[in-house]
Amino acid sequence: MGNLTLRGVRIASAECTLLEPFDLDVASGSFVAIVGPNGVGKSTLLRAVAGFEPTAGGSVALDGHDLRALSANERARAIAALGADPEAPHGMTVREVALCGRFAQRPWWQWTRSDHDLLATETALARVGLRDSADRLIDTLSSGERQRAWIALALAQGARVLLLDEPTSHLDARYASEVLALLREIASGGTTVVAVLHDLNEASSFADRIAIFGDRRLLAYDAPTTALAASTLEAAYGIAFARADIDGETRVFARLKNT
Amino acid sequence: MFRLAVLGCAAFGALILGVFLGGSALAPGDVAWALLHPHAGGDVATIVWALRVPRVAIAGIVGAALAVAGFLLQGMLRNPLVDPFLTGVSAGAGAAIAVAVTLGLASGLVPAVGFGAGLGTALLVAALARRGSGIDTERLILAGVSLSALFSSFVALALTRLAQGGAQEILAWLAGTLAGRGWPEVAATAPYLIAGFALALIAVPSLNVLRLGSGPARGVGLDLARTQWVLLIAATLLTAAAVSLSGIVGFVGLIVPHLGRRMFGTDARLALPGSAFFGIALVSIADAACRTLFAPQEIPLGVLLAFVGVPSFLYLYLRPRGTSRLWGT
Repeated sequence: MGNLTLRGVRIASAECTLLEPFDLDVASGSFVAIVGPNGVGKSTLLRAVAGFEPTAGGSVALDGHDLRALSANERARAIAALGADPEAPHGMTVREVALCGRFAQRPWWQWTRSDHDLLATETALARVGLRDSADRLIDTLSSGERQRAWIALALAQGARVLLLDEPTSHLDARYASEVLALLREIASGGTTVVAVLHDLNEASSFADRIAIFGDRRLLAYDAPTTALAASTLEAAYGIAFARADIDGETRVFARLKNT
Repeated sequence: MFRLAVLGCAAFGALILGVFLGGSALAPGDVAWALLHPHAGGDVATIVWALRVPRVAIAGIVGAALAVAGFLLQGMLRNPLVDPFLTGVSAGAGAAIAVAVTLGLASGLVPAVGFGAGLGTALLVAALARRGSGIDTERLILAGVSLSALFSSFVALALTRLAQGGAQEILAWLAGTLAGRGWPEVAATAPYLIAGFALALIAVPSLNVLRLGSGPARGVGLDLARTQWVLLIAATLLTAAAVSLSGIVGFVGLIVPHLGRRMFGTDARLALPGSAFFGIALVSIADAACRTLFAPQEIPLGVLLAFVGVPSFLYLYLRPRGTSRLWGT
């Protein structure tokens, strides 16, 4: 379970339409990367799927249930969403942050945490490789570890879908590949992963499918080899791209100098 | 938990100490005897049970209410500089009381007028800060500061126009005092205090999640609008009740939450009751000092708290060495 179905979804800012109506199906347990130029509406789309903001039109359904019908609590148990570059809270340990992921599992006024909450948190911390850092304050961690701590929080939610906005934006190549490998592994475990990524080659290496947005439309939604056509990328970004296939992986390069 | 229990006992001890100290010097043995024999009668028992016990109880209530209100608002706005008077409760109450005194209203009505006006001002501020179903925190601060400035000018105007007696009454209230307060005032504010404290306890898990920031907090299922209203209503009820009991007692709501977080960390399950205990202890000791230091003269409670509280706060947080930080531990 964890099939996302977007039908006729239109994304708009206060002033204008960002994305014309489009359909998108994300299969359970797949890793989908969303790419496109800055300001195209990727983050707004992700927030709409997370249920933070209404779409300007169309519907988003998870396993056949319209997300608008869900309460904040129900939604958080179904969908975990991480915004872009969340500020690290002061004075909270990694474990305390991850424990917050269990908030939706009990009534909002209830103080106690069940053994199951604690267990799910420890499991999540182990999965992201932070079990030994669980008692450290989160603002003392490196950027890569911090991102994994946020992912632990999302995992502790026990949701069927994990949405991430630029999870690798401030990470160096090694940390980025660690985080992406972790997301890949999470998807293989059955959780649907949808991530906005800026690096097309990261998307190519790790995602099952890539959705390319540009020119206010969904331009392509396919496996990396098919989606990352130079012509599609040129339509999306407005600059020329070169493409090479190295060891079976598609690599694309923006022609940065004026062409 | 152990430290919380110790602090709770210390707060209770401070209350008891407050009963033993006062303007009229009573022998500690007599006070103890009167405390243990409430129905015995006599001068000492009358002073203890009709004057000191209610006054000490009010000191504890005011301390706990302001500390908890400050804790809630600092957590809601994620801003360590917020105090409970931010939402205009004290300024609105002050203006209303100034008007009431100018019009010559019976002074027995002053606490009720202050309470109503404080609540009304906070409602107005909240209405101005509304966006969608929730509250825009920046607008809340702006609206609170602006309306507070406006209402404070009413007080200044009244003070410059009024005869000595009326001005004195307003000034006493502005400086914060527990003189002359008793059980009737407690009874009148009790429903609001109970509602405020109950809402605060209910909001504790939400406050804990809100430490993540509003974005991630929504991500884990926090209904942000509901949380903001619960916190704001709780803080406003507690602050308005405290203001109507004691006038404007500053710094408790700003400083005590810092002490609570410093001792217990940012987990509200410990830091909120911890702050309440600190507030009880601080205000009851301060009020005892107000009554005894220059007896039979009384120092205004707000003045004494500022004199003693601010330097110690500066010492705790702004001394050059160490890695102290306002937010967190």
